Amino acid sequence: MKILVPLKRVADPENANKVKIAAPAGGLAPKIETTGLEWKPNPFDEYALEAALRLTENGTAVKARLGEVIVVTFGPAECDQTLRGALATGADRAIRVDVTDDQLDGDLVARALAKLVDQVKPDLVLMGKQTVDSDSNQVAQLLAAYLGWPQVTFAANIVNEDNKALKIGRVADGGQINVRVQLPAVVNVEDRVVNPKGVTSPPTPATHKYADGVRFAPLPAIMQAKKKPLEVKKLADLGVEAAPKVKYLGYEAPPARKAGVKVKTVAELVDKLKNEAKVL
Amino acid sequence: MAQAENPLLDDRTVSFLLDEVLDLRAHLALPYFADHDREGVEVLLDMVRKLARRVLYPTWKPQDEQPPTFVDGRVRLHPSFHEAWPALVETGLLSATRPSEHGGQQLPFLVHAVAAAYLGAANLNVVGLGMLTTGAAHLIEAFGDDAQRAQWMTPLYEGRWTGTMALTEPQAGSSLGDVQTTARRAVDGSYRIRGSKIFISGGDHDLGSNVINLALARVVQPDGSSVAGTRGLSLFIVPRRRPDASSGDRWVDNDVTTTQAIHKIGWRGLPSIALSFGDRDDCHGWLVGQPGRGMPQMFQMMNEARVGVGVAAVATASAAYQEALAYARGRAQGRDPRNRDGGGPQLPLVEHADVRRMLLRQKAIVEGSFALALTAARLVDRAAHAPDEAVRAKSQRLLDLLTPIVKSFPAERGYESVALALQIHGGYGYSSEYPIEGWLRDQKLNSIHEGTTGIQGLDLLGRKVVAAGGEALALLLEELEATAARATQSGVEPALGEALRAAGERLRGTTMALAQRGLRGDVLGMLLHSHDFLELASIVVVAWQHLELSAAAHAGLARGGPQPRAFYEGKVLAAQYWLATELPRVPQLAALCEQGEASYATFPDGGW
Repeated sequence: MKILVPLKRVADPENANKVKIAAPAGGLAPKIETTGLEWKPNPFDEYALEAALRLTENGTAVKARLGEVIVVTFGPAECDQTLRGALATGADRAIRVDVTDDQLDGDLVARALAKLVDQVKPDLVLMGKQTVDSDSNQVAQLLAAYLGWPQVTFAANIVNEDNKALKIGRVADGGQINVRVQLPAVVNVEDRVVNPKGVTSPPTPATHKYADGVRFAPLPAIMQAKKKPLEVKKLADLGVEAAPKVKYLGYEAPPARKAGVKVKTVAELVDKLKNEAKVL
Repeated sequence: MAQAENPLLDDRTVSFLLDEVLDLRAHLALPYFADHDREGVEVLLDMVRKLARRVLYPTWKPQDEQPPTFVDGRVRLHPSFHEAWPALVETGLLSATRPSEHGGQQLPFLVHAVAAAYLGAANLNVVGLGMLTTGAAHLIEAFGDDAQRAQWMTPLYEGRWTGTMALTEPQAGSSLGDVQTTARRAVDGSYRIRGSKIFISGGDHDLGSNVINLALARVVQPDGSSVAGTRGLSLFIVPRRRPDASSGDRWVDNDVTTTQAIHKIGWRGLPSIALSFGDRDDCHGWLVGQPGRGMPQMFQMMNEARVGVGVAAVATASAAYQEALAYARGRAQGRDPRNRDGGGPQLPLVEHADVRRMLLRQKAIVEGSFALALTAARLVDRAAHAPDEAVRAKSQRLLDLLTPIVKSFPAERGYESVALALQIHGGYGYSSEYPIEGWLRDQKLNSIHEGTTGIQGLDLLGRKVVAAGGEALALLLEELEATAARATQSGVEPALGEALRAAGERLRGTTMALAQRGLRGDVLGMLLHSHDFLELASIVVVAWQHLELSAAAHAGLARGGPQPRAFYEGKVLAAQYWLATELPRVPQLAALCEQGEASYATFPDGGW
């Protein structure tokens, strides 16, 4: 199976409080202050990569690759590091579409990915359900529409049926919906897909239990990753016009949380809920 | 969204140290590191951060609460060890710095030290076992023959087995010259080992199929004679299981018995074991290197091991500092003292001056120690791999001098630092509901193992500063001068550079005075204040490091470096704090050393 996995680097979600928005008084900031931000791969994209690796290997002998995983990112040259991390983790080759963040929106990424799918011809596009910076949760759906492919969203577990179809448990309110999808398809994943039994794929024996979570790139693989192919493309190479539909007008930080108050009596609480919060 | 958890180490500080202080890119240009580049190092550190924060750190507290068990003569580790250890092994870090011909990746020890700091801050039990295993393998690599390397070193580097340093005996701790374990040569060329060892970390467990003890023992000749003292000690491979000589690839028990799993207050996940060799007189050992060279061989590895202890101490202090910082920001207590009626909103702890003092003191200790440990780690690399012979020799000389300080300062001041983190937590810090008390217990070991602080003081004053006519000290003073000049040039207050120069001069003067006392034959008088001398030298060396950090931070501010302004300003103020509060102690400590203040030396026995 050939799988395309889009990756995005995001400001480290564990240090998200360091994202600064320097707005002029009373106005909107023209951009987010990115100086000194620490960048990490979007966690959901890491889950997609882990799932893709599990679908293209025998879990008991992971060194022999049984399929191909191609990672792609959109961004400037610094993003090569994100790709190298993915290559070290096990991806077979990488593509970077050379753009800056302000040239992008979800729709443009989906259109560019659709063109890239025409070139790369994967059996499956496997991606994170959303990025933890803008949380838009759009690209997989848009991409499936542009390709005319079936889509499955919020996959929590995946069973590979002979590389031709996938049986997917997708998360829904109050439970799980089990669906079967014929390949090629677009699938996005949530975090449970990297549970020890999140992916079932022959020839990995059904008894095999993966370590919980994503795998870590060992040092020798990090060094070998330098030698794996990393191709740089321009939007023009894909025949996509750099014209985002979303126009960013400005940024402002959410209002700071106000200090709480302690109420002395239940009556006071009811009064406040009714007359101040107006929720009763 | 993930909660902000303890980051263990500050990622920005790591980047700052590697890129703006220690110039990792230039370091990677050494030919030995040709297969590495800065980007690859960052990918490695990303992996290490994930492993530390997601896998190792969650196992630390459970391992502390449920130490290994000793049942039916064998030791069982906490179940989480069985997940954490393979995860560490799979990173390839055990052999990462070693040459490719021995299965290593020729990674700079500098980078390895940063990785060890992250992982050690998360869980020293697991990392400690890794360091012991690497250390044992390294001894065999350096002094063993090809057959020994293939048989014993490779499985250790691959993490299939683990290793120990089996030196200490009940009657021979700091004084290894009193080791009594014996080795008698057998007809097959191996030796029969008999004796008892104690405090052997990792000496027994249920992880892999074998434990390889690197043991010091005294060779006894057929006539019963042996050489006394350290010169009679040789180094032996003493495995728990050995190949059966009579039947090829079968492995048999090697008569190594676990007699006790010691209860201890820290590093509780890593078993400390009492071992008995040769109860049935069937314990086989294989000589590593030359007979009678056990101690010098061991000491050839000692710099790296002692830098490793320094890194472990930095790691523990850093984890506690990060915890205290988050707590001080999150917990509101007390009000602005200017509100005389006690009104106004409660303030977060971090707003109170004395809490800020405790935080800045921790920061200064952690970051000064970290910079020092990494500077030493870079010297380890240069001493081994610099193409220029003169650079290698100078690096080794300076490293030898710094090693007792790297070993003891982060441990001693790191203990103070963790105590401050606990203090900020108040009563909660004193409870086991919060993690600080665990780090306090873990930290204590770092001033004891691999040579106590007392031993480090004797090593520094009795050997290192006087070696080769004081050449190492001269090198250190050159470094101090270069840093002082660089700092002033970068815009650091010139008075700080002057203060460092003056402290360096005082260190030189005190060293001269004590060395002359020793030359006159008054060895006891020379060494009487070895602890104060160690303290004095440590303060000067860490002030040197802080001034270096301050210079780099000023440079970053001036050219708009990659970090936010407040980050750089923090480095500048931490340096200012350290120099302002610690350098004034230099004359006082120097006077104690020089005048030989004699209260405890002359104290009467009946007076205690």
